Amino acid sequence: MTAAHPARRGDLRVALLFLLPAGFGFVLFYAWPALQTFYLSFTDYSLLAAPNWVGAQNYRAAFGDARFGNALLVTVEYVVINIGVQTAVALLIAVLMHRLTKSSLVRGLLLLPYLIANVVVALVWYNMLDAQLGIVNAVLSWVGVDPVAFFGETSTAIPTIALVNVWRHMGYTALLLFAGLQAIPKSVYEAAAIDGASEWRVFRSVTLPLLRPVLAMVLVLTVIGSFQIFDTVAVTTKGGPVDATRVIYFYIYEKAFQQFDFGYAAALSVVLFVILAGLAVAQLRLLRAGSSDLD
Amino acid sequence: MHNKLSKPAALAAAVSLALAGCAGAPGGGSGSSEITYWLWDANQLPAYQACATSFQQANPGTTVKIEQFGWADYWNKLTTDLVAGTAPDVFTNHLNYYPTYAAKNQLLPLDEFVSRDAVPTDVYPEGLADLWTAQDGKRYGLPKDFDTVALFYNKKMLADAGVAEADLANLTWNPQDGGTYEKLIARLTVDANGVRGDEPGFDKSKVAVHGLGLDENNGAGVGQQMWSMYALSTGWTYTDKNPWGTEFNYDDPRFQQTMAWYRGLIDKGYLPSLATARSGSSVNDAFGAGKYALSTNGSWMINAYFGHDGVDVGVAPTPTGPSGKRATIFNGLADSIYTGTDNRDGAWKWVKHLASAECQKTVGEKAVVFPALPEALAVAKETFAAKGVDITAFTKPLDEGATHLFPITDHAPEVAAVMGPAIDAVLTSQADPASLTQANEQVNALFR
Amino acid sequence: MTSTAIGPTWRRALGWVVLTLLVLITLFPFYWMLRVSLSDNRALAADAGSLLPAGFTLGAFERVLGLASLEEARAQGGSGASIDFWRYLLNSVLTSTLITAGQVLFSSMAAYAFARLRWRGRDAVFFVFLTALMIPPIFTALPNFVLMRDLELLNTYAAVVLPFFFMTPFAVFFMRQFLLGISREVEEAARIDGAGHPRIFFRIVLPMSRAPLTTLALLAYITAWNEYFWPLLVGQGEGVRVLTVALGVFRSQTPQGSPDWAGLMAATLLAALPVITLFVAFGRRIVDSIQFSGIK
Repeated sequence: MTAAHPARRGDLRVALLFLLPAGFGFVLFYAWPALQTFYLSFTDYSLLAAPNWVGAQNYRAAFGDARFGNALLVTVEYVVINIGVQTAVALLIAVLMHRLTKSSLVRGLLLLPYLIANVVVALVWYNMLDAQLGIVNAVLSWVGVDPVAFFGETSTAIPTIALVNVWRHMGYTALLLFAGLQAIPKSVYEAAAIDGASEWRVFRSVTLPLLRPVLAMVLVLTVIGSFQIFDTVAVTTKGGPVDATRVIYFYIYEKAFQQFDFGYAAALSVVLFVILAGLAVAQLRLLRAGSSDLD
Repeated sequence: MHNKLSKPAALAAAVSLALAGCAGAPGGGSGSSEITYWLWDANQLPAYQACATSFQQANPGTTVKIEQFGWADYWNKLTTDLVAGTAPDVFTNHLNYYPTYAAKNQLLPLDEFVSRDAVPTDVYPEGLADLWTAQDGKRYGLPKDFDTVALFYNKKMLADAGVAEADLANLTWNPQDGGTYEKLIARLTVDANGVRGDEPGFDKSKVAVHGLGLDENNGAGVGQQMWSMYALSTGWTYTDKNPWGTEFNYDDPRFQQTMAWYRGLIDKGYLPSLATARSGSSVNDAFGAGKYALSTNGSWMINAYFGHDGVDVGVAPTPTGPSGKRATIFNGLADSIYTGTDNRDGAWKWVKHLASAECQKTVGEKAVVFPALPEALAVAKETFAAKGVDITAFTKPLDEGATHLFPITDHAPEVAAVMGPAIDAVLTSQADPASLTQANEQVNALFR
Repeated sequence: MTSTAIGPTWRRALGWVVLTLLVLITLFPFYWMLRVSLSDNRALAADAGSLLPAGFTLGAFERVLGLASLEEARAQGGSGASIDFWRYLLNSVLTSTLITAGQVLFSSMAAYAFARLRWRGRDAVFFVFLTALMIPPIFTALPNFVLMRDLELLNTYAAVVLPFFFMTPFAVFFMRQFLLGISREVEEAARIDGAGHPRIFFRIVLPMSRAPLTTLALLAYITAWNEYFWPLLVGQGEGVRVLTVALGVFRSQTPQGSPDWAGLMAATLLAALPVITLFVAFGRRIVDSIQFSGIK
């Protein structure tokens, strides 16, 4: 570092060069469209004619729109079930793998669903959970349970969709957590063993606290992703029965691309953005500790 | 990695070139000599494929590319493509949807072409051709077929219940006790122990055969083959006037009583629950599998109902209602041209061919739907008869003046978006039929 | 392994039972795809509970691959609309490859600028990039759709690829995290040799980053392959339709009746096959790299 740094002054130019393609993509496909969405949310825009400035009318409509409120609620229900079950199951798998096996095969098999598109996953489960033809109901009937119309019943539709996506993501999440577990030094466990701590106690007072940073990061990634539930609904229930699975993404999609109401759809996505941003800021605050070492 | 700095740069350049190259060639667009044509009914695909073949022989150099999407996706895709400016040159259009598209200037008026080529519009059943003239006085389609609704029944189940087929021609219905129609449905419902729906000891929680089939779609605000034949037979109408109504009547007691009665059939076990109906098998397949004894459906479904192996099927007209008349929706499809087509003349030639006696007879020979032209309908009637299907149950309401039009209004997609979930809520007993008054207000607000 | 890790035998046995059960739950749907795809549509209804194919036939695969005629397909309960499988597969491969190549290269370049270069406003600009991480895709999808329409790019490969081609916030963030950790000495040595930044980046930093680059590439590829929402908006045209969108179309293309389940599952299986193959070939690598992305 003792050498003179004539190049340092030139770093800005080099940086611009390196940033050029990504910056172009950022401005064109992220920043500019984001600003446009803000603008369009104040307009009446059918896409077939020029947008018409209407002030805050879309927002007033959104706050009076019971179905939008319902869409938010349904989405939150989905996220809670999806993330809750997924994290618990993934944690179980990760701990089991940590204790029992380092086999790449087991890890690989558990990861398999993650490699398959949401659309494919949705179709397979749609078949398996069919009330009349589905294998799951056939199995249920062997043990004397009446057929359940998993996707067809208002009360079961959202939990079903949430669990289907748990199936897709549990192996992936488990793998992330497993990596975190491996980073915990063995000596900690040895010390706990000498103290004669029970399995549950070790998990609660050793594993969980040490795993927290990884767990927090996994949660940030999965929660934001979970709010974007669309594919599964789009190929199975299409929002029904009644409005039971009309999640926020699907509702916005319908408004924009089926009912020519682009302006209103833009306003709804602004509201969604504000909610998600608030959530992300809250989560990032929990994560902040020493993530940056900019010099 | 090679020791050449330029490699990634070269790759990047190649990639952008490739992208730029792709940009020039639209994928599903419409070439000048190719006409893209959309329809939603897979059953009609072979018939129209045959029409396309004869068209291509008559017009060398022009090819017709037919794409089929299921009903559920058809309108979504069409809307997205209209917005995108990539809609098909010609597409099958529906009375319920075309006013919205016409109002947004997405359809090409046909008047000029029709008068230039002197295409007759007075050869169709009365009123059919006029339906395709929008509020602006312009024509947006030439009729190609029509349909009505009737009652399919399982002959063996009827015989087992001791009901004569002839009795089905004189069924009566009312929203209070359901009339002889409900008695029949009750009689035909059988539980797992073999007890009939009108007998003591009937267990509605374990029904083996439901008297009436429930469609997996609720028909949103129209209920064409689901509940419209009951509601309309009370004298109720969808809108203040039709076509071009601006006030819907879902708050009318006659409509809400009808829905209450219909939902009551689910509570009584005569109809399956909506969740069961919607879980994978369509109403006609469940009928074919012996789960339903009766099933109301449209004439376009004749082949599906009569196609089940080992099931002997008959068709009767819908029951007579409180108005003293039976009722069915009389609907028709037409082919429309997209304003953004880059081949107006080619598209018109294809539309003209689709409406011609030649193509209509081809459709009639395949006996899948009722062609709009009477001479082609005669062909279809014969072909159906040859297959052992008597279509008079479908054509009788026409002679009796018992047909009603699909509600032709603006804002149809939005109306459906409100009414679909609202009707769902009633059929699943999450809301009372009175809740439809509120839905009606939402619908009518669209027109203010 | 320490003694606590082993524990009593019955506890280990219970652990294995649970783990095996979870693996079975994971694998069963894949078997089910195969089972239904080898069945006959008409036999399926009568034989719902059987674990073996109902009325074994390869008809579904013939339908999907376009080997059956319209009439044959309809006789088997198919819609008659063949899924142009090879075309859609090519589209998926092409778009996913382009997205991966562009995204990995350009995001790494940007990450280099954020991690290894000093310039005024760097942190502020990086923060702006980071905020994009929180923008839900639907927020930008609507105007991006209009942009593609106005550029007349709808139903082109460009429309499907472009928004993901230059960067994703995650990719930049991910690579920056890795690049921050590289020792400065390597760079300094190169600099004394007179190498400029492009040279350092391409000849030293990139080769050193093989592991994270592979991870990023695999993640980008899988994500691109599975993308549904964006191609649904801009790439429905048959020429550019990717497998996910094609499957959605195929699902709704039912003859008025029940879905063509056998055909649907055959198509589903075929659509999953390329990724499964990739997985069999690079299984370990994928597992390692996903774990790696977690630690970072």
